[in-house]
Amino acid sequence: MRWEVFRQEKKKDYHVHVGDVHAPNAELAKQYAQVMHARRKPANSLWVVPKDAIETVEADDHDVAMGGLTQREYRWATNYNTGEMAAEIEESEAEQVEAERERKKAAGQGGGDD
Amino acid sequence: MPPLDIETVKERAGPREFGPGDDMPEEYRKAATRMIQFHANSEIMGAYIERPFIRQAPSLERKLAVSAQVQDEIGHGQLLYRAAENLGVKTREQMLDELASGEGKFLNCFHYPLSHWYELPMIMFFVDGAAMRRQATLKRTSWEPYAHAIDKICFEEGFHIKHGEDILREIASGSNHDRELLQEAFERWWPRILQFFGPTNDQSVHGGFAMDVGLKTMTNDDLRTAFLNAYLPKAEKYGLEIPDTPHVEYDSEADRYEVAEEDLDWDEFGEVARNEYPTGAEQIARRRRRQEAVEWVREAILDDSPGVGTTSAAAD
Repeated sequence: MRWEVFRQEKKKDYHVHVGDVHAPNAELAKQYAQVMHARRKPANSLWVVPKDAIETVEADDHDVAMGGLTQREYRWATNYNTGEMAAEIEESEAEQVEAERERKKAAGQGGGDD
Repeated sequence: MPPLDIETVKERAGPREFGPGDDMPEEYRKAATRMIQFHANSEIMGAYIERPFIRQAPSLERKLAVSAQVQDEIGHGQLLYRAAENLGVKTREQMLDELASGEGKFLNCFHYPLSHWYELPMIMFFVDGAAMRRQATLKRTSWEPYAHAIDKICFEEGFHIKHGEDILREIASGSNHDRELLQEAFERWWPRILQFFGPTNDQSVHGGFAMDVGLKTMTNDDLRTAFLNAYLPKAEKYGLEIPDTPHVEYDSEADRYEVAEEDLDWDEFGEVARNEYPTGAEQIARRRRRQEAVEWVREAILDDSPGVGTTSAAAD
């Protein structure tokens, strides 16, 4: 049986998917997960989830639109040029710029100027 | 294992310190529920204020952007009900019912309807800007699920405020008539916007405890000053004249704006806060009718027969 493993590096971080383990039950799955995914890298917590319990949505399924497959520039802060902004708005925009870079990278258009 | 006692909670209080894995004392869970439910309700009621402008927007671009904004706000409401729900005090249904029955509280500014496009930047720029100021400080709230919801909210909110500012700039650079209507809207909304952060600290009922346990990280007074520092220069940039009353004055020594509290109508604010202000009561009734109208959708989603309620269309 396959189990997906999510590792949280430090307390308060998000759990990030790091791989999977094969094990007949949850107890062993947790042990294998520790050995394989938390022995060398720092970890504060692991989530071990049966593969079957994970629902998925695929970007290329028809009737699914994710991550800017359509033209939706109006949805992004970067589309509006308003001059100097409050610090928290700048921060929000920076997050959006980063997300846009990642979207472009995922779409195979390269990462901009890198 | 007994729940954490309140002294331990106060000692440990810090950014994202507590989560569903911690057995929190009832006092904390109730305070956090009150705060997050208020926030969630406000997102929903804010969306209802903006919704008519999907139709009234003057261009296709604006329609798309307003409609995206309304979608975002409803989504924020859902995220926040989820964050409140796992405190174990109230279920999502209870909170939605309380909103519909007029028991649930929400932001003062969303008790006043907008009648004209010129008023929209008052919500989309000033009120949302004030909300963003507050929300940015809540990335460090002690209830982790709340902080996680705030991460996504702040990510999206930057677009809302910039879009609001873009509308403000467009109107402000229009005809004299446009600017007059804009100034009128500003004068009508300015006192309400100043009241957004609530009464001063010495009048605030719940603020002290929320600060002590790390739910809040900045006081109402400090938030209002921070808001004025950032947004008054913006108002001036777009040619808006700051009204004489309520009196707002820049204290150059303290490098902050001071607001004359006595110029603000706190009786009306109280009426609004108790959901008794007439226009607010209408907004609540409108929301209740919409909630009843889509009752069948919630039923269909709860019905776990295959194929029902599993598509995104069912959530509309």
